[in-house]
Amino acid sequence: MADKLKRLRIYWKIWWTSSILSVESSLENRLGVIFLLSGKIVRFVFFIFFLVVINRQVQQIAGYSLNQMITFFLMFNLLDLFGQLFFRGIYWFRDQVVTGEFDFKLTKPVSPLFQALTRHTDILDLPLLVATVIFLFRQGITLTTAQSMIFLITLISGMVIVTAIHIAVAALGVMTTEVDHTIMIYRDLSMMARVPVDVYTDSVRALLTFVIPIAVAYTLPAKSLLGLVTLPTVILALAISALALTLSLRLWHYALTQYSSASS
Amino acid sequence: MRMSSFKKYFQVAKTSWSGGFVYRLNFVMWRVRNVVQLIAIYFLWFAVMSRNSTAFNYTTAQMLTYILGTSLIRALVFGQRSIDAQNEIGSGDLNNYLVKPIGYFKYWFSRDIADKLLNILFSIGEIAILLIWLRPEIYLQTNPLMLAGFLLASLLAMVMYFYFSFLVSMTTFWIPEENGWPQRFLIFVVLEFFSGGLFPLDILPPAVYAVIGKLPSAYFLNAPLQIYLGRFSATEMASTLLMMVIWIAVLRITANWTFRKGLKIYGAYGR
Repeated sequence: MADKLKRLRIYWKIWWTSSILSVESSLENRLGVIFLLSGKIVRFVFFIFFLVVINRQVQQIAGYSLNQMITFFLMFNLLDLFGQLFFRGIYWFRDQVVTGEFDFKLTKPVSPLFQALTRHTDILDLPLLVATVIFLFRQGITLTTAQSMIFLITLISGMVIVTAIHIAVAALGVMTTEVDHTIMIYRDLSMMARVPVDVYTDSVRALLTFVIPIAVAYTLPAKSLLGLVTLPTVILALAISALALTLSLRLWHYALTQYSSASS
Repeated sequence: MRMSSFKKYFQVAKTSWSGGFVYRLNFVMWRVRNVVQLIAIYFLWFAVMSRNSTAFNYTTAQMLTYILGTSLIRALVFGQRSIDAQNEIGSGDLNNYLVKPIGYFKYWFSRDIADKLLNILFSIGEIAILLIWLRPEIYLQTNPLMLAGFLLASLLAMVMYFYFSFLVSMTTFWIPEENGWPQRFLIFVVLEFFSGGLFPLDILPPAVYAVIGKLPSAYFLNAPLQIYLGRFSATEMASTLLMMVIWIAVLRITANWTFRKGLKIYGAYGR
């Protein structure tokens, strides 16, 4: 136990140090920070404005009111920003594999997966993450203790799935040297959860629930926040997230056996 | 353009076309991304229109045609290789062109044409599959005048966007950090909304549309599709096309001027 705690402290220290370095590196280009931050905020505001514009003539979309649609969008943002903030390192991972720099990660006494995912912490996503949390609180949603528990469980299971998807992308990166498009396809698929997945056909919904569990990761926490999730669904979410994490870790370990260290 | 010059740029386009098939996986994944984006926005609008046969003064057929149409027009207008120009300016690779007997704008325009053709071919295939799968109500324009106006507006939008995008790339002369990506990202986000990629712009409140409808971005996707849907009268169509020609002239002059100014301060960083 003491050993595990010591390991945890080491990982925390590595993450904290690399995050501080990421922040310093990001802030080096101040004008760039302004542009990127503005872009993220504008995208956020525009989509809410878009929902408001629709609501001027259509009171409900797929049975949801404007406020509920905004809750879905805010929950999407919360989980999307979680992935962006903590696992931004995946966007640099291809270079490490292609150039052979990944060899050096393998020789260090720290999990190479941890290094691949958390190499860069994107501080630019933090302001929007804080804003999203504030907006969610301002939605004025009240939950019973049981509903709060359900929300927390679905939220954690959503975070696990987001992590699992990033691990799977890293594994595919090792095997195929293709990361950039894979992660962007995931981003595009996750964008489908800016609105409740109920708007899609059964086949698309099944794909987003059981194949790439975007619906479980993004839509379910929002539904639980609205008090629309039952216990069996929570159990299913837990099972899917556990399976997703197990499969992604297995894929990662398999991918490491296929790493050819080609360019080093 | 003289024949020899034409052959030169034709060869550039041909090479670029072949290059598209070299990185097949990259290209296919790029198209997959486009289809995913289209499906997301299509179903949202399908859900909006499913309980209302008419909303925002659009019939279901008109709205769904608009959304599917944006995919095709996107391929023509936004499909481009010339976005790499900002990387060349930022990395100093622009040097390679300055010593060659080649026009930088014409070079990238030729490469863009090849890229657009490739994207349009795939886009047509994707839309055909979606039409078979989703069987949506579609608005078919039969008026030859409107169809001709739509084609002309689409081509003018393509040229307009080329100069507009080049202007964005050239900001890298002055802001070279991250090869101009931060400013490009901001423009991308704004364009997605103001070009009509998510919805037809005339569903916005009239006061907002009065401003946004006049911006060059409104001509990239919104104007050609409005013409196709027959929502412009013949006079409005003519004035829209005229405005597009004026914008092309303004953007072209500005882009040329900016390029000359940029070259004066170009430091070939990274070389």
